Amino acid sequence: MIVLTGLALLSACSKKDNSGPSSQIRIDSITASVNPVVAYDTSVITVYATGDNLQYGWVANHGKIKGSGITVKYSACQSCRGLNTITCRVFNETGEVSDTIMVRVTPWHSK
Amino acid sequence: MLQTAKYLLIFLCLCTGNKAFSQCCTSGNPFISDAEQPALQSRILTASLNYRYSHSGKYYSEDSRFTELPFQEVANSNYTELQIGYGITNWLTALTDLGYFFNKTLETPGIDSYKGYGFGDLGLYAKFNAYSNSRLRLTISPTVGVKFPVGVFDQEVENVQLPISVQPSAGSYRYLANLFISKGFGKVALAGFASYEYSQLIESENFYYKYGDQWIAALYFNYRPWKRFTIDLQVRNEYRTKSTRENDDIIESSGYDVVFFTPQVTYAFKHDWYLSAYGDIPLYKYYNGIQLSFGYAVSVRVTKKIDFIALMARKRSADPGGSESK
Repeated sequence: MIVLTGLALLSACSKKDNSGPSSQIRIDSITASVNPVVAYDTSVITVYATGDNLQYGWVANHGKIKGSGITVKYSACQSCRGLNTITCRVFNETGEVSDTIMVRVTPWHSK
Repeated sequence: MLQTAKYLLIFLCLCTGNKAFSQCCTSGNPFISDAEQPALQSRILTASLNYRYSHSGKYYSEDSRFTELPFQEVANSNYTELQIGYGITNWLTALTDLGYFFNKTLETPGIDSYKGYGFGDLGLYAKFNAYSNSRLRLTISPTVGVKFPVGVFDQEVENVQLPISVQPSAGSYRYLANLFISKGFGKVALAGFASYEYSQLIESENFYYKYGDQWIAALYFNYRPWKRFTIDLQVRNEYRTKSTRENDDIIESSGYDVVFFTPQVTYAFKHDWYLSAYGDIPLYKYYNGIQLSFGYAVSVRVTKKIDFIALMARKRSADPGGSESK
């Protein structure tokens, strides 16, 4: 039991390192090509940021994000209806900053 | 010492009953729908290793197939679970299980694919031998337990977080209680199983979500046509209430009611090794709103049972003066 628990906890602890905030990175804006977006459709999300050697991380609290980098595609199914938060994390060796955009997902209807 | 280590390892790798989801892609361990077992006798250990493949590919709205979506989506998972049970006393059995996903994939063929993998949840349960009458071949075994979200959650690929549906761990504690009743008649046994599971709110850095409560009711028919061969036929109803999200908003396209037929065959090898194979086939599906529905699952399980009291007795009879001569 101890071994099992240890293995599981070890796996749960293997998360990425957190970087501190950086004054050398600035997020100017995050835009969505379609907002609100109908369930099962796609909205293109783009982040505009300044800084050197930037990398980008994305999270949606409901729905799916496809792709990586400056531009990603966001889509959500019928169960993700509502006002959803997409968070973009911009980071480099100096640290990171993050910002969000809210995208509303509306119900899908037969066409 | 080596012998003890061996048994400890086996203990760590095998035993219990039933935990799965009828929805295609739900976070956390799936329900392992093998035939439920009564509480173990004192100092008996069972350890089993399960492998399960599940597949989903059809959308449902209420009880009908929904074909209006302009794309196809497919979900599958390859999952293994180690289950161990030990009879601490004749009335109390301790059970544990730990799941691991080799993959938990959701894809739109040719367009995109999301794949999570890693440890799922760790379950700890206490099963009680509330009533046992060997003459009547009647047993009543209630169980209470907790599933700990020890596995991988908030998993990312190329700095992009995977959707909650393919995260290996449930991301929150789950509490369950169930009752198993079995009655034997000659070569046949009939059993009933009822279970309730409460999922705690998932409140991680990125997710705020609560799965609905889950109810499971199952009827088992067990028949042993030959000494070493057993057939189990199970009809099971899984019902889950709707999920909720931020501000306690109810998610209309969540929750389901599915009836499964689960046939199972088990062969008992020498030295208390068992091999089982079973499958989950949905007979009836009802999904609120529009949801990707459960398709089918196939599973195999290897189980080892160790009776420590019989083992000690055999050891003593093989070496009757052993301890005195020392």
